[in-house]
Amino acid sequence: MSEDEKKPKNPSRRAFLKSTGGAAAIAGIALGGLAVNPKETAAALNPMPKKWDETYDVVIIGSGFAGLAAAIEAKNAGATVTVIEKMFVHGGNSIINGGDFSAAGTKMQKEAGIQDSADIMYNDMMKTGLYLNHPGLAKTVAEQSNSALEWCQSLGARFAKVGFHGGHSVKRAHQTINASGSEVVNKLFDKVNALGIKVQTRTKLVRFVSDKGGRIVGIEVRTGYKFPDEKSGKTAYIKARKAVVLTSGGFSQDLALRQIEDPRLTDKFGSTNQPGATGEALLAACMAGAMDLQMDWIQLGPWTSPDEKGFGHVPLFCERLVGYGPMINPKTGKRFFKETGNRKERADAIILIGNPVIIMGDSYAVPKQVFPNALQKGMEAGAIKKFDTLEDLAKNYNIPFEAFTAEIAKWNSFVEKKKDADLDCMIFQDAKPTVTPPFYAARLWPKVHHTMGGLVIDNNAQVMGFDLKPVKGLYAAGEVSGGVHGAVRLGGVAMADCIVFGRIAGKNAAKEKSQI
Amino acid sequence: MKMTEKDKRVFETAQQARIHTPLCLLVLILTLGIAMTSVAAPKKMATSQPENCALCHGKEKALPAGHNDIKKMNYEGCKKCHIDTLRLGGKLPGGHIHQLSGVSCEKCHGKVKKQTEVPMKQCVTCHNPEKLKEKTAKVKPENPHTSPHYGTGLDCNACHRQHGKSENFCAQCHKFNFVVP
Ligand SMILES: Cc1cc2nc3c(=O)[nH]c(=O)nc-3n(C[C@H](O)[C@H](O)[C@H](O)COP(=O)(O)OP(=O)(O)OC[C@H]3O[C@@H](n4cnc5c(N)ncnc54)[C@H](O)[C@@H]3O)c2cc1C
Repeated sequence: MSEDEKKPKNPSRRAFLKSTGGAAAIAGIALGGLAVNPKETAAALNPMPKKWDETYDVVIIGSGFAGLAAAIEAKNAGATVTVIEKMFVHGGNSIINGGDFSAAGTKMQKEAGIQDSADIMYNDMMKTGLYLNHPGLAKTVAEQSNSALEWCQSLGARFAKVGFHGGHSVKRAHQTINASGSEVVNKLFDKVNALGIKVQTRTKLVRFVSDKGGRIVGIEVRTGYKFPDEKSGKTAYIKARKAVVLTSGGFSQDLALRQIEDPRLTDKFGSTNQPGATGEALLAACMAGAMDLQMDWIQLGPWTSPDEKGFGHVPLFCERLVGYGPMINPKTGKRFFKETGNRKERADAIILIGNPVIIMGDSYAVPKQVFPNALQKGMEAGAIKKFDTLEDLAKNYNIPFEAFTAEIAKWNSFVEKKKDADLDCMIFQDAKPTVTPPFYAARLWPKVHHTMGGLVIDNNAQVMGFDLKPVKGLYAAGEVSGGVHGAVRLGGVAMADCIVFGRIAGKNAAKEKSQI
Repeated sequence: MKMTEKDKRVFETAQQARIHTPLCLLVLILTLGIAMTSVAAPKKMATSQPENCALCHGKEKALPAGHNDIKKMNYEGCKKCHIDTLRLGGKLPGGHIHQLSGVSCEKCHGKVKKQTEVPMKQCVTCHNPEKLKEKTAKVKPENPHTSPHYGTGLDCNACHRQHGKSENFCAQCHKFNFVVP
């Protein structure tokens, strides 16, 4: 315990803690069902600081979509707000994201003649999520996806076109003009700055501070923190008069935590995420009494390339081509899985094959579908390759040529009929047979991409505790929360989730009674 | 040994700088000099001056034996010999380059008792982000001074260190092999 912290007010409790061996004993008793409230336990183990260094109504942890949306809404509702961020830069995974925002019943869809509704989106989310989604949360995201998109547009974010993602039944991924989440993050960030909200980078949440009743009243942080040096920085305390909003993102880069939840996910699998996508803030919330759910549903992206770092350019190539070009197992020369299947099915199918597979398209599909910059950069990086003939392509990837050409001919016949008799791939109306040279191809091998599990929240983004009651003063939104997506997050739905629940969390945090 | 164009240039500039040392020896010395600067663990002195190595480095020799006298030399002077593969950018800590260019500690840190980290808004008073972006527009595989993520707004300190080794911040996620001065 540092000198900054004063002794808990209740001396008998402290004596009790000491004599029984502290945390482990208390936790044991709590789990054993004795009348010890887990949040009181947390409070007892998390003493009040002697003095608060800073005080705000609402304190937000994390500067991605969810955190920035929460900050704007809390401020607009009259609260004083700060955002803390442990990394050197703002934006988290949101600022490196692919910029696809799934929303239903939008103006852009109508203009493109796409029939969609919140109900259809909800059903897609539930079906792909294996019905493990918490229906109220999924419904909230589907129903408010359009208004969330419009809200981003009203802050200046621009979207270019509506595309398709595997597992959706219609085109509903609204792509930002630069095919990056930065278009949205930076417009939100401009607004945050215009509203005078202080964003404190290199400030890491260490623990939550709760009062005797288990209410979250502030946080302990390290300022001047230099990721990943845990000894860097200085301890400081920030008080939240109304509430803390946790928007610290997922834990795809947290090797220890992700292997506890899914032991297959060793360092053999790379990740698409920023290096700071780790789970300590989520675990700190659990230590303060918050409950977690479905933590072992961790998504691998089936569209990443082993030939480039991180997310790279190939996902933008692959996802625009499914339904237009075939995915081939180079060992057999044959297709092996429904190209428009969802992420989980596809990643599992590739892992089962055990070696990278190929996605390909011709000179009709590729220029029409693929964002030019992604194609060019992917080719410069050597991850996307161009071939004058199918024979060259087959040679390059060691594909048995006869089997391969027979498979392409079969695929082309399916495209003509717009019906895939083998694997039931969804073939788009404007798709054409893969015949026009040059041909483009890339190798695919999954990387850890999204953590569906996280903190239990209700429809108001209020975090729930292990006593199945609200953890007062704590809201959560975005990837750190669980339940919206169930077993599988559909493409583009993270953006909808983060903006919808970020806004809800910010508004509700600002509505809390000030604790002074 | 036949001289390449590059060798000729080194030789000529060495001549201009009045260093009467055989070329190969000169190259050796300069290379050693680069290696040596990273060995020392100097003190940070607010009063430091470019020509007074001992003030920070103490008894340890900051320059290799036989290095040209650097009294009254500025960064332009250094660059007379230190070109091409002998370039100092990316090897000599940025603080030294600043010092040698006439930018003293105080100019960035201000006249303060205890010097603290210099925020980006101080850097941009001399280094205009838009101009930097133009200057490095042709760097491959990407322009390091702009990105789809941060535009020209990424904090200079993300990569450039004045008192330690600079960092290729982009390489966290990308395969960009930038040499960062
Ligand atoms: C490469 C990539 C592409 C993607 N493309 C898409 C897409 O096109 N469409 C889509 O819908 N989704 C996409 N996703 C998923 C989506 O981007 C993320 O789920 C979303 O950005 C999460 O937002 P967030 O606000 O919850 O968290 P983040 O944006 O990750 O922000 C959380 C922040 O909290 C900080 N933080 C963590 N712990 C602490 C701590 N202890 N103290 C202080 N700060 C802390 C982190 O450093 C981070 O900056 C993509 C993801 C990746 C990685």
